Amino acid sequence: MKSRALFLLLTVGMMSSCATQKMSGDQLARVAKDWSLSIRASQVIPVYPLTEDLQPGDVFLVQTPIEEQVAVYLAKGFLPLENLVTRLSPAGYARFYRGWPHVADGDKAPPRPWQFPKDDSPDSDFSRAPIAAFPTYSFSVSRSGGLNLAIPVQSVPVGLNLLDSASANGTITLKDAFTYALPARTMYDAVHQWCRDNADYLSQYGPTEYAADKKLAATKFYLRVINRVYLVKTVDVSLFSNRGFEAGGSAGVPQPVQLLNIANATESAKQFAAVNEILSKATSSTTKDAGSPVGAVEGAAPQPLAVGGTVKLAMATTRSVSLVETFRRPLVIGYLASDYPIEARGKCASPVPTLGVLEGHRAPAGRTIEYQGCDENCARIRPWIKQGANQQTLETWLEQHGGAIAIADLLTGDYAGLRQRVVVELIEALQ
Amino acid sequence: MALQPPSPQTNVPRFDVANVVDAMLLDSRVKWIAIVYEATVGGVDRFTITPHIVDPT
Repeated sequence: MKSRALFLLLTVGMMSSCATQKMSGDQLARVAKDWSLSIRASQVIPVYPLTEDLQPGDVFLVQTPIEEQVAVYLAKGFLPLENLVTRLSPAGYARFYRGWPHVADGDKAPPRPWQFPKDDSPDSDFSRAPIAAFPTYSFSVSRSGGLNLAIPVQSVPVGLNLLDSASANGTITLKDAFTYALPARTMYDAVHQWCRDNADYLSQYGPTEYAADKKLAATKFYLRVINRVYLVKTVDVSLFSNRGFEAGGSAGVPQPVQLLNIANATESAKQFAAVNEILSKATSSTTKDAGSPVGAVEGAAPQPLAVGGTVKLAMATTRSVSLVETFRRPLVIGYLASDYPIEARGKCASPVPTLGVLEGHRAPAGRTIEYQGCDENCARIRPWIKQGANQQTLETWLEQHGGAIAIADLLTGDYAGLRQRVVVELIEALQ
Repeated sequence: MALQPPSPQTNVPRFDVANVVDAMLLDSRVKWIAIVYEATVGGVDRFTITPHIVDPT
């Protein structure tokens, strides 16, 4: 039995490289989407591939327009984090987590005290971190469809091979989940201070309009600032084979493992131990590669087996297997963020909640403009629109002559010429 | 054609916040307004005022 299990597990080791070579780009993209759609259901923007190197204060430069973001988000299931610009370290954890043990600012700011509690050990201890809980997700996998790696944890392909099944239904439970954050208000101050300090750098990413000849499209850049992250340390995967196993079979055809034999508990325990020993050897090589740079997502082939973790068999029957995968340190699986549009001269505008935009809740009413002060004409228009039907008159005039801009924009925005016309053509003409 | 919704305004001095908010509320579609402190420049507090048509929460 042990040799049979070894045979099965050896195929697991080879499967990742062979399968990856065979899968087309579309199938690999589907891997990311399947996983991301599951995480997205929890109102969290998915990270793909999983990484521990993402934390509140990370600032990414993204170019995708909001309208296109929605399309990309729906197509891929996640948002590519294109360019990591900087990592802000705003003070505020101690105040936000007041009374929370071992939370401080500076070098001891989260996640460091949980990530590396001991200077001489790479092992983490998130037991004091704020915990989170995710629902159990269901999924279907099929080797022929190239979806056998639809979840970026090793347990799924391992489980499929143990089942010796071409397709299966399964559930995945994200255990030992944690979250931490900085409030958007604190982040706002830090971001705007950084924007002021780096206005020269940001000015190159100011918005551009459509060129007159239409050959150059309008562009708009955003700073995507991470406010909250969600991490997971343990993943439970249960797989249920979609079909029964044919009896007999020719020599060399791997048979399903039958570990749960209550008639012989001693033998079952030995088999469990043997399989887990083989699993630990088969997966130990990947643990060294835990974590991948976030910026490498766009255009790169996903690495479904590269997240690294230890896989243990929890339960197995002829029709099902359950495996527990534990990462050496918790990995970020999702985040919440705000998008700060970069305006002319490198000025950062008001933030927009990224998820809100993606889910169709466009928060701000329009593009951000800079207050220009209330000049002489503004001072004349303000009391005038309070009288009688003058507001309606002005709105009609703006629709016809003022590009339908809002009255608030007219009064204190960069519309001095338009204000002059209002005074001349409406206020003075009607007197 | 209806007017465009009012735009968020940055750099609004404290003494004119009320007037800017008043002007934004002329648009009956505006249901929420966020006033966020931005910085103090030359002894004058500056704010970003953001009107919302859809519940931002």
